[in-house]
Amino acid sequence: MTSMTPEGLIDWAGPILSGALTTVQIAVLAYAIGLLLGLLGAGAKLSPWAPLRGLATAYSTLIRAVPELLLILLLYYAGAQALDALLAYLGMAGAVQITGFATAVGVLAFVQGAYMTEVFRGAILAIPSGQLEAADAFGFSRWDRFHRIVLPGMLPNALPGMSNLWLILIKDTALISVIGFNELFFTIQQAAASSRAYFLFYAAAGVIYLLMTLSSTALFARLERYVRRGQPTEA
Amino acid sequence: MTSSLQHAFRPRSSTAPAVVANQLIKHFGDLEVLKGVSLDVPEGTVTSIIGASGSGKSTLLRCMNLLERPDQGELAIADEAIRFDRNPQGDIIGLDRRQLQRLRAKVTMVFQQFNLWPHLTVLGNVIEAPMRVKKLSRKRATALGEHYLERVGMADRRDAYPAFLSGGQQQRVAIARALAMEPRLLLFDEPTSALDPERVNEVLGVIRGLADEGRTMLLVTHEMHFAREVSDQLVYLDQGNIACSGTPEEVFADPRCRQFMAPAA
Repeated sequence: MTSMTPEGLIDWAGPILSGALTTVQIAVLAYAIGLLLGLLGAGAKLSPWAPLRGLATAYSTLIRAVPELLLILLLYYAGAQALDALLAYLGMAGAVQITGFATAVGVLAFVQGAYMTEVFRGAILAIPSGQLEAADAFGFSRWDRFHRIVLPGMLPNALPGMSNLWLILIKDTALISVIGFNELFFTIQQAAASSRAYFLFYAAAGVIYLLMTLSSTALFARLERYVRRGQPTEA
Repeated sequence: MTSSLQHAFRPRSSTAPAVVANQLIKHFGDLEVLKGVSLDVPEGTVTSIIGASGSGKSTLLRCMNLLERPDQGELAIADEAIRFDRNPQGDIIGLDRRQLQRLRAKVTMVFQQFNLWPHLTVLGNVIEAPMRVKKLSRKRATALGEHYLERVGMADRRDAYPAFLSGGQQQRVAIARALAMEPRLLLFDEPTSALDPERVNEVLGVIRGLADEGRTMLLVTHEMHFAREVSDQLVYLDQGNIACSGTPEEVFADPRCRQFMAPAA
């Protein structure tokens, strides 16, 4: 086995790197969509309109209450069936094939959005009301108020939570392997199984995940320094 | 009340009053905070609203840019009658958002707690509304902003963030922010109440300078001596009613008014 091991790693380097790249792509896309869903969710939860509030509450409560692994399986199978049924109904059966990639992104984004909703809701509520009142008093449009005052005002409060969710998301991409999609974890499992060098490959996976999370933590730290530029001391 | 003000009109004022409020009523829940208040603020004059805490002064002021929506009454600001949506009983139930934004570009406010935006620099705070609301170019807004920062003595701190300034400096920036919209009417909501005593005068000095320029201003203040000094009209509010009003001379000469002022003075 010792003589096989380095060879095994080199043989698998290509697929592993491509799996890692896929993992990053899934995570980045799911995060971006999750941010958008979170903003919409938080907006809905803070809306004066009760049905919208109810919908957002149902979304964030249900999704956060169920294990993610279960959600991934549920959404993967139920989602695929629902889409097939919809396409059949529209007479377009087989016209669109959802890829494993799209499913992975969709499911993770949906879950991220639920958590992000709560992060953003709290961060928006933490903005001192006087800052929003000042925007109102000067006649800001809703959009200007949102993107010039609310967004930069809530980011210092939201970033620690956002950074947490990003780390969780990177790790959650591993769950996608259960639907047999070729991301990093799935590739590693295959490599480990075929070479029988379990420790080596799982350790390599650990290092790759660590590199991803550490580098993004550094990025978030810089981002946080930027959004807190108007605040005298690091809190 | 309007008649008693005639002599206080300054030369440049020729148009309609900047504010005509008629029988404003405002409730917070069961509490009637304004019980039918009427008030004119002639163009180019300074009116101070005084009275005890809870008398409704801030609520009345905040009706002037509709941060508070009155429940009943009529309001004309900067030559425009405010269009209220009313139910069949005549109660005010809504506002015209378009008109509201137009109005608020012409009536700007200085808050007790400054309410500067912490993520923007001093200059950024001052040019934000001119750029967003009046759609001025950054260049024009910056020129305006620098002019008004100079006016309040804060030009040298234009790149600082608000949290690095003293309360008095923050309030002067907030005044520059309100001035940079070149409003028809300036509202001041207890502008010195949140300041350390030694910082009060630098802010009052700026406000006094604006009064001397003939700007139209409506102030809520606890600074009685200051109000008496700079105002053309004093309005004493007591439990949601105007108990007493007129020029400072009239108010302070009237024994009935003096009796109201005594505890506050």
